[in-house]
Amino acid sequence: MSDTRQPLLRVRDLTVNFGSHRHPLSAVAGVSFDIYEGETLGLVGESGCGKSTTGKALMRIVEPSSGSIELEGVEITTQKGKALRNLRTRMQMIFQDPISSLNPRRRAKDIVAEPLDCWKSVEGDERTALVNDLLSKVGIDPIVYGNRYARQFSGGQCQRISIARSLAMRPKLLICDEMVSALDVSIQAQILNLLEDLKAEYGLTLLFIAHDLAVVKNVSDRVAVMYLGKMCEIGPPDTLYDAPEHPYTQFLLGAALEADPDSPLHGEVLVGEPPSPMNPPSGCRFRTRCPFATDKCAAEEPLLVEMAPGHTVACHYPLSLSRT
Amino acid sequence: MSNSYFVNELVEEATTQTTPERKKRLGVLFWICVGWLALNVLGAIFANVLPLQDPLYQNYSIINAGPSLHHLFGTDDLGRDIFSRIVFGSRVSIEVSLGSLLIGFGIGAPLGMLAAYRRGKFDSLLTTVMYMFLAFPAIIATIAVLSFWTPRSLLKIIIVVGIASIPLVYRVIRTATMNIATKDYVIAAKVQGATDWRILGRELLPNVAPIGVSFLLIGIATVITLEGSLAFLGLSVNPPTPSWGNMINESRTILQQNPWLAIFPSLALCLFLLCLNFIGDRLRSHFEVTEGKL
Amino acid sequence: MSLTPQLLVVKDLSTTFDTPAGPLAAVGGVSFDLNQNETMGIVGESGSGKTVLARTVMGLQPRSKVTVSGSVLLNGFEVVGASDVEKQKIWGLQVAMIFQDPMTSLNPVMRIGRQIDEILRVRLGMDRHAAKARAIELLELVGIPSPAERYHVFPGQLSGGMRQRVVIATALAGSPQLLLADEPTTGLDVTIQAQILNLLDEIKERMKMSVILVTHDLGVVATRTSRLIVMYAGRIVEMGSTRDVFVNHRMPYTRALLDGSPKVSNPSHTRLLAIPGRPPNLLKLPPGCSFAPRCSFATDRCHKERPELQPANTPGHTFACWNPLPTNRGASA
Repeated sequence: MSDTRQPLLRVRDLTVNFGSHRHPLSAVAGVSFDIYEGETLGLVGESGCGKSTTGKALMRIVEPSSGSIELEGVEITTQKGKALRNLRTRMQMIFQDPISSLNPRRRAKDIVAEPLDCWKSVEGDERTALVNDLLSKVGIDPIVYGNRYARQFSGGQCQRISIARSLAMRPKLLICDEMVSALDVSIQAQILNLLEDLKAEYGLTLLFIAHDLAVVKNVSDRVAVMYLGKMCEIGPPDTLYDAPEHPYTQFLLGAALEADPDSPLHGEVLVGEPPSPMNPPSGCRFRTRCPFATDKCAAEEPLLVEMAPGHTVACHYPLSLSRT
Repeated sequence: MSNSYFVNELVEEATTQTTPERKKRLGVLFWICVGWLALNVLGAIFANVLPLQDPLYQNYSIINAGPSLHHLFGTDDLGRDIFSRIVFGSRVSIEVSLGSLLIGFGIGAPLGMLAAYRRGKFDSLLTTVMYMFLAFPAIIATIAVLSFWTPRSLLKIIIVVGIASIPLVYRVIRTATMNIATKDYVIAAKVQGATDWRILGRELLPNVAPIGVSFLLIGIATVITLEGSLAFLGLSVNPPTPSWGNMINESRTILQQNPWLAIFPSLALCLFLLCLNFIGDRLRSHFEVTEGKL
Repeated sequence: MSLTPQLLVVKDLSTTFDTPAGPLAAVGGVSFDLNQNETMGIVGESGSGKTVLARTVMGLQPRSKVTVSGSVLLNGFEVVGASDVEKQKIWGLQVAMIFQDPMTSLNPVMRIGRQIDEILRVRLGMDRHAAKARAIELLELVGIPSPAERYHVFPGQLSGGMRQRVVIATALAGSPQLLLADEPTTGLDVTIQAQILNLLDEIKERMKMSVILVTHDLGVVATRTSRLIVMYAGRIVEMGSTRDVFVNHRMPYTRALLDGSPKVSNPSHTRLLAIPGRPPNLLKLPPGCSFAPRCSFATDRCHKERPELQPANTPGHTFACWNPLPTNRGASA
């Protein structure tokens, strides 16, 4: 269903290596995915799986080591200088730590106006009006709070200001990197609802990166699961959560704690801890913790295969095959 | 236990919610210190106009006199008025410290910020060079240069001390900038499309400046002490020009006969340094942004 | 003494910090009790006082600037007002605490085995060999692979999950009857979190301990506790069996916590129940119900008069609300 549309963002074989040549650390090891206009792609995984690095590589905050990233058909990995700066008007990012994302010594309205000032797109009264409008949109009263310094706001308010700032240049794609994980439950709900509203209003396309499966499911149209720098599975949330194809997805879901006293007490708990990305296992990277792993998994790296329309999995033994 | 930390967090949590920002107070002692420094600086600037005795006039009729109404702090072994020599002497201390730190900060601070922001080869090269300079004991290097670069003058002292302070300033500013450059808001500014200069000026400078200012004050204190040490070794301005260090140096030989000659300049030096350090410390904690934790 | 003596009885406990901006009531008039071998959950958002409550129960307070009133009776020992020397006798031996960040409770420059050893030798008077053997046993108990080798490593060489296991081992060294776990799995990955929570369950059964699980995450307490306390602005707003609190909650704040968090079982793009505003300033608590300013059911009375805990239909279930939610709401929410 999604194949006929042109993707807004097309990522192919993206790799990001850190560290020296002698001891490379492959944070992202060949990841491919598309994001279509107007959709929200959720990206989940545990810490160290490379999900945040992927987001930062898309923004060119960290440099991709190889691979291609196309935004609206234009390759952006090779862009430099002015072209790279221009990219900033079309892609924006919201960070995890709301307090550290805002300069504590600047006022809320100046922070929101920063992108406008950088680009000198609007000035004078028009600029003030736009800033006030953005602040009101995210639920910060510009008259009362506009002149307050960033350090005077709580985490939830800081995240609202961050959102307002990221929308100032009306970007196409918004990358949200764990944007609610530092917030309390009641504040998290406010921010997630706000994000849904703004997405509709501004016609945004979102890449929503988070470790919380429930949060990701709530906002996403499609969900991608990463493990140790590789993509495990991409699919629509309902099928992916109800009938996961990759054993890792299943374990991840099994470990997720549902706020429901009747939820079945977790089946199998995944044993061990993820191996070091400095020295990843051969073949399938999940095989060291996977109960279904065979010699084939060690020898051969599984490629992403489409199991159903829009549902792809990188596993030699997808779970639906063993289910039937 | 981390109890006190925890309480701070709670208080912060509560106080960040209070709508108007509570003004932190600097305290009375801070303002007394500022007043004392201002008095010293004003004295140095207006020494010529003030009703002071000529610091160079030698009155052999009263040498090594104790404090009296006519000579507030007494006279030295050549019958010169100690009070007026201290006031005039502060000029040298203040000129040397401000002048050399102008050089130190003028060169060290921008380089430090730039290195910390750009990182990469520029940073590693510059930092290596700076650390090589730091490996030399600055005092010995200064003494060596000043001993050979004759005739001595105030300007030469300023230049030598200034250059010696560059690596120190560089190191402090670089570390401070590095702490801030990794914050998300700096990355966010870059992502918004801000140019490097804009990031340096808008995001980094306002956050580095308070640290710079407090280091500047401590630097002034250090340079004044250094000038004292140089004078003590006879490497500062040539006599008869008074400087605090010179005066203490001269008092050495006649400490038995006239202790006042050592006591008053030392006291002036001590108080001045104490005030500087106290102000620097207070300012640093005052400008520290307490970031609310969630 | 009754037949099943309660391990912990907390009565009207208040912890007030003396701050430059005035007294800050972090915990205000909290009463509850805990049975032997029971797991109880304390949930609340940041600033709700749940961590301060746990620390006060433990008897950990800064020396000055804090006033504690009320009573904490732990196995007959009154914690409130006890001197540090007296509390030393129960710390580790009767009550132990594990914190959110395992790195802060471990000495980074000391081998992990030695850290457990020390407790055993100093507190239990074991000799070196016995202590080492017991330490390795404890490391094995908390599921650390090849404990005899890991005995010699430094905390920094372990992953977050492994470190939390070591912290649990140090807490267990004195075989305490009560374990206070303050956000023990926050910051750990989901798969590791499940491992640690299972471990806590297992140890609780094996050592016949009681556990108080302090967390912001309702998922953590849903299936692992028998009773639950919901805190808001330093007070208990609802308390009861975990099932009652989850299913038959009466306090609107409890509902907001439950329906405000996304669930895996809900379809995508489910609108979350978001309550407006944020928790009140503890320095300026409203005179009535602390939750009233954010509550859509609030009436005049809620703003003026503070509701006390009142019993609900099921025994042991109490809530503090003037306008409670109806009892049988079926498929509402």
